[in-house]
Amino acid sequence: MGSSAKKKKEKKKDFQKPKLKVGKTKPKAENFTSTSFQAKSIVLKQQSLAVTAPSTSSQFLHHLSLLTSKSDTQRRDSLAYLTSTIAATPPGTPLPQPAPTIISIVEPMLTHPSNGVRQQALKLLISLPHTDIKSHVERLVLRTQAGMTNLSNDIRSFALDVLEWLLETAGDEVVCSPGGWAKTLDCFIGLLGLKKDAKASWTSTRTISSSGGGEKLYAKQLQTLALFVRVGLADRRDASAKGAAREDAWFPLRNTEQHMLPKVSNPYGYLNLFGIPRNDKTAMSEDVDDRRRIFVSTSQPTIMAAIYQAKGEGGEVGRAAAQLKKAVAGVMKGFDDI
Amino acid sequence: MGKRKVGALEKVDADLTSLQNKIKRDPLSYKDEFQSQHNQYIAIYDLFMQAPGNPSDHDSIISLRDLIEFIAHVSDCYPDLTAQFPHQLMGLLGNHHEVLEPELREKIVGSLVLLRNKDVIDSPTLINTLFPLLVSTPSKSLRALLFSKILSDLRSSNAKTTNHRLNRTMQDVLYNLVTSDRTSSKGLWAIKLTRELWRRQIWTDAKAVEIMKEASLAENEKVIIGGVRFFLGGDKEREEAAEEDSDEDDGPDINKLRHQVGINKKSKKKDKMLKQAAATMKKKERKKGAPHPLNFSALHLLHDPQGFAENLFSRHLQAAKSRLNLEQKLTVLQLVSRLVGLHQLTIISLYSYFLKYLTPRQPSVTSFLASLAQSTHSYVPPDALTPLLLKISNEFISEASSTSVATAGLNAVREICARQPLAMTEELLQDLVMYRKSKDKGVMMAAKGLMALYREKAPEMLKRADRGREAAFQMRQGEIKLGRFGHTETAGGIEGIELLEAWKEEQRKLRREEKGLATDDEDEDEEAEEDDAGWKNWDAEEDDSDDSDGWINVESDGDEIDISDDEDEKPPVKKLKLDTAEANKENTEAPVEATAAEVKEVLEEEKRVSKLATTRILTPADLVKLQELRQQASISALVNRKSKKASAAASADNNRHADDPLTVAEIEGLAKLYEKKTREEKIAMAKGDRDEKHVSTTAKRKEKKRAEGKSTTNKEKARQKNFLMTLGKAKRKGRRSMVDIQKGLRGHIDRKKRGGKRGNKGN
Repeated sequence: MGSSAKKKKEKKKDFQKPKLKVGKTKPKAENFTSTSFQAKSIVLKQQSLAVTAPSTSSQFLHHLSLLTSKSDTQRRDSLAYLTSTIAATPPGTPLPQPAPTIISIVEPMLTHPSNGVRQQALKLLISLPHTDIKSHVERLVLRTQAGMTNLSNDIRSFALDVLEWLLETAGDEVVCSPGGWAKTLDCFIGLLGLKKDAKASWTSTRTISSSGGGEKLYAKQLQTLALFVRVGLADRRDASAKGAAREDAWFPLRNTEQHMLPKVSNPYGYLNLFGIPRNDKTAMSEDVDDRRRIFVSTSQPTIMAAIYQAKGEGGEVGRAAAQLKKAVAGVMKGFDDI
Repeated sequence: MGKRKVGALEKVDADLTSLQNKIKRDPLSYKDEFQSQHNQYIAIYDLFMQAPGNPSDHDSIISLRDLIEFIAHVSDCYPDLTAQFPHQLMGLLGNHHEVLEPELREKIVGSLVLLRNKDVIDSPTLINTLFPLLVSTPSKSLRALLFSKILSDLRSSNAKTTNHRLNRTMQDVLYNLVTSDRTSSKGLWAIKLTRELWRRQIWTDAKAVEIMKEASLAENEKVIIGGVRFFLGGDKEREEAAEEDSDEDDGPDINKLRHQVGINKKSKKKDKMLKQAAATMKKKERKKGAPHPLNFSALHLLHDPQGFAENLFSRHLQAAKSRLNLEQKLTVLQLVSRLVGLHQLTIISLYSYFLKYLTPRQPSVTSFLASLAQSTHSYVPPDALTPLLLKISNEFISEASSTSVATAGLNAVREICARQPLAMTEELLQDLVMYRKSKDKGVMMAAKGLMALYREKAPEMLKRADRGREAAFQMRQGEIKLGRFGHTETAGGIEGIELLEAWKEEQRKLRREEKGLATDDEDEDEEAEEDDAGWKNWDAEEDDSDDSDGWINVESDGDEIDISDDEDEKPPVKKLKLDTAEANKENTEAPVEATAAEVKEVLEEEKRVSKLATTRILTPADLVKLQELRQQASISALVNRKSKKASAAASADNNRHADDPLTVAEIEGLAKLYEKKTREEKIAMAKGDRDEKHVSTTAKRKEKKRAEGKSTTNKEKARQKNFLMTLGKAKRKGRRSMVDIQKGLRGHIDRKKRGGKRGNKGN
């Protein structure tokens, strides 16, 4: 009973006329919405009246800012535009924007969920001058490691592409960068689905690679690891023979190279004056012997076991495993003697 | 390239919450999955640490946040893998809290608390991480979050038993915070935290009070006032909180639940709910029966109150460079005067300080008057108070001054004299008492109050006509004598012991009469018997007495703490014994030339003190009787008073606890009534303390029934039934068959004959 009477009353309320009083403003309706607003300034959008097209550099800047756009296609297109612009600049002339700026903006896109964006970002980085890449290897390595541990299989396999490119363009810098050797090896072990502790080994299977990706991906992982090991552990003593020849040129002076101004960027990086303290995983390992020691002590047994298993599988994986074994044997030859 | 199909397994692994759930169920099997997530976390963490304040992409923040939450939730499953995790979080928060993205920052704080709850880190570590941030961070939201987290951590670690170690370290940290930099306002956090913990009765010890004491002596105004306010209001707040706790709603209605279980579908969940409700009820019952926790007020826990009061006075009130405004000064003054009154401290310069402010034109002079009265006690030299009294009477109390001013002055004089009657001079008193003829009611009442006070304390100072019959009689008897300054009524004994003695005597007489023996014979056996009965009965009595509180063992920590509730409570029996013994010794050893008068005085004193307490051990039964007699005596004293007004006034005086502060309202007295009031105040006064909302009788009755757990009547159910549900029946009624209609009609006729449904056979 209560509800119907109430409803009636409410209905009546809708049709009641507000009483007007002399000298008072008209009462506002119940559903009145205030549309007034306050603003310090009002900007009227207008089309550009400029007759000339915007300059290349301003367009470049505009596209650089578009890289933070939400839309994937927008990002990809902007990346493509930037790539073509950079490719079009003749060598020797400066880029429209300094390379560090470009790298810092483009680099996070290496782990972007969209495949197109990732590929385009890599293309853009490839188009940049190698010297710039070399001085920013540290961030790129960290980003690659993040990609290698990513949950998505696509991003993981893409991170291998990035690593391959990095090794080709700036191999030494990659393996010498802080965490570049020990941590990347760890990432590989995780990527291959290996376990470090041999306790539970009798049930161990390649969980991650078998969960997705398949044989092809596994073979690719092994190949990249082979490349990584070859770059990281290769002895450069033959290169020092050339140095000895140069020594002769300086003849009365000895060890002159060491006393010259350093040519690499951040030559005292190993001191780590301003960064967070490093542990043994993120430490720099600039010396080949250092890297070898780390390799032998931490990951060689695991990797050799994996090679043994993979070789048994034959096919593409087997071939890749054989390649890896050869690489390891090749670079470790001198070390075993010592 | 088209969208790649994602396998079901892969999809599940990417979902951190479901993975977290699975890991919690079976940590060993999901170790690999966790390892890969942990690797990802480390990679993103390293990337993030390159520029914590200015991360290059927003996605990594989100993923870092999610991963931190995930790892914090399962870190107790893999202690070896996540050993570094808490330290990383602490480092991140400690070093970069100013630049971190707010949501990530909150997540880190939450994760640290979670780790604490999982016992991965301990409380001191957590608090050592969070507290420095609380003091230093500029972000308001973070401060609020940290404060609540620290508080809840302290509460939870003190929930079951008091965690003395944690409390001590925390108190040390707060103490150092307050004392290290006295000019900074950071001490406010120590005050907030201590006050909150005090309110919740988690900290009730002297160390917490010490923190507040140091805060009150700080140099920052906010900190000073925070500390002072704590002393003035902290204990009341605590009491109120305790009361609120005790009369919370009674939890689930167990009858209703039981009823519902009988009707509704039975399920394990319902069963569990019922059990839980029963458990909570039981807990509540037990809580009700538990003895009241013994808490001392902050003012009593103070160490060295004299030094504290002196410091407060000299630093904040007397010092010329003190930057407190009047209101703040008044608050400090209130505390100083309470301390002086409560602990009977001696700060002579305090009274001359008041002299400056005692003029009617001084803003909020009534609170100065209240403070002055509060700071008076029986050990204040009358010489210090007399000028003040003169000034008050000169400035406030005259025919020319307004009535409210005169009332305030008279009330103040009365309150001062109640505490130190010696301060008054005879002429002044007689002058002031004349105001009882005033036309104004407030002035008249105040003057009469003063007169009544001196009738009790020193009637000889009043004019003969003003003394009253009773006081004059007592004066003639020599019962009332105003002692000299410094003279205190010591000893006494047990309050009301003479009543008990009289009662016992009476009882014995009655018994003797029954037996037919001589009334004044002593019978040791009988007495012993009686004693035994007293002890024996006791246990039984205690068992069935509901209102008797359980005993609480309070271990003394060496120093004596005065816990007397009453001003005129006498010291315990033991002291009395010693005193009398000493007196006796004095008496015997007194030199021969001691005057006869002295001896007589001592003997008189001895006679006054009842022997009962010194000769026998009082049984618990005796004590119960004593309490009863005491109450009876006080009630009869009230009843026997001549006028109702006097008894009301006396009860008002008795109601005030010695610890309670003297309020401005008491000084203002009736004058407050004449002030012009706002409409709201008038309405509130007219309403009194009646219930705000009007509720109809029917509604009340219904509510009562519902509370009793009774059901509604059928009629009511029919009335409340949904209209649509009744439609079907109504329709059916319309097309009843002829037979049905006939039945109905016949029934009607039948009922008519019977006279109603039940029939009124009586008529």
